[in-house]
Amino acid sequence: MVVTCTVKVAGNTPCTNDAEERGRCVVTGAEMTREVKAISGQNPYLCMQCGLCSASCTGVGFMDLLPRKVMRLVQLGDKKLLENRAIWLCSTCLTCTARCPRGLDVSRVMEALRVINLRKGTEVLAPEGIPEELLTEIPQMALTSGFRKLSS
Amino acid sequence: MSIPYFPGCTLHVKAKDLDDSTRAALAALGLELTELPEWTCCGAVFPLAQDNYMGMVAAARILANAAKLGDGRLVTVCSFCYHVLKRVNFAFRNRTEARNKLNEYLEEHYNGEVTLLHPLELIRDDVGFDVLQDRVYRRLKGLKVACYYGCTLSRPAEEMGFGEPENPTIMEELVAALGAEPVGFSWKTKCCGSYQVLNNAALAADRAQAVLEAASRQGAHVIITSCPLCRYNLERLPVGAAGKGESEARLPVLYFTQLLGIALQLPATTLGLDSHYLDALKEARA
Repeated sequence: MVVTCTVKVAGNTPCTNDAEERGRCVVTGAEMTREVKAISGQNPYLCMQCGLCSASCTGVGFMDLLPRKVMRLVQLGDKKLLENRAIWLCSTCLTCTARCPRGLDVSRVMEALRVINLRKGTEVLAPEGIPEELLTEIPQMALTSGFRKLSS
Repeated sequence: MSIPYFPGCTLHVKAKDLDDSTRAALAALGLELTELPEWTCCGAVFPLAQDNYMGMVAAARILANAAKLGDGRLVTVCSFCYHVLKRVNFAFRNRTEARNKLNEYLEEHYNGEVTLLHPLELIRDDVGFDVLQDRVYRRLKGLKVACYYGCTLSRPAEEMGFGEPENPTIMEELVAALGAEPVGFSWKTKCCGSYQVLNNAALAADRAQAVLEAASRQGAHVIITSCPLCRYNLERLPVGAAGKGESEARLPVLYFTQLLGIALQLPATTLGLDSHYLDALKEARA
């Protein structure tokens, strides 16, 4: 089944990406929110901003924007979110997902924001940036998982 | 009785000791594992984008091939492998579109028939922790153990079926059967920082230290896990972390299968155990 992406790119030309490549043509904040909904399968407007996700987050101490605020900016359609560091510091531990009182899978929203970036070629983990000492001793699973989540 | 077994990429190289100790400990309990004749990496992480089916293909192929062996079961011990295979199997059973797409791509007719088992589940269901208790030669009396599940074994609970998402207890049940004492450990399903060690090493070090400190506070002598990445992140901290003096050894981190092997009095070499671990454990209980 091929579902054509409904997003219009600059100049109002319809995007030709099929659904498997959703998110590549995000230009506006509203498009970002729509694509996050489609890619994550989550309704961000269910979030009531209680902050339990932030309180539960593994990487929160290193984030410039807490998961609760990430959810808020998705609701508001603020495209600056795509350039935020926080979305790359998620370790997909699913604690936020397990605890959300609104039943939102927050980790899927975080992943959607990464995926929109990755499908445009924006990534944060490059092989040449990994210290050699780490490369020789780290378990293979870390490389596979890291590259799958953080590079395109 | 021989059960199909998927070791996964890390167990053949960096976590050979997890592979060795799993095979040896289960064999000692009468559970022979037979490695799948052909296998690839499972993909290591489950794709959280609804439209990312390619991220499920590797695990789907492994499951479809395991189904052809006819046993109906597949054992895997690495926490990442278990997580990915379990969730992809769940998708085959419950998501029509995923099932159709993956079968079409792989030219298979798989419907999620395989039951994926973690060795902890296999021991509980096929041996029984009560029976295991009687088969332990060297009871680990006085040894305080922090059971560290990490983030992948129990979440999401409805797909993993591994107990409470933040309070699974199966590893504690095993530890108790070995005669050791599982400590109350509120950090047991907190994340060690996982693959963020590649992207932000400080984050992973910070989380690992918090886990070690929490285990230390409970008086644990040893931490056990089934995840090579958890073990790596916990062990890469410098000696002296977790509030201990420089002269004091860091809390040892073992695979649960190694602890099981010790209790079954298997030779240290078959468990991939350095003798310093055994000495550390002896000292801990003294």
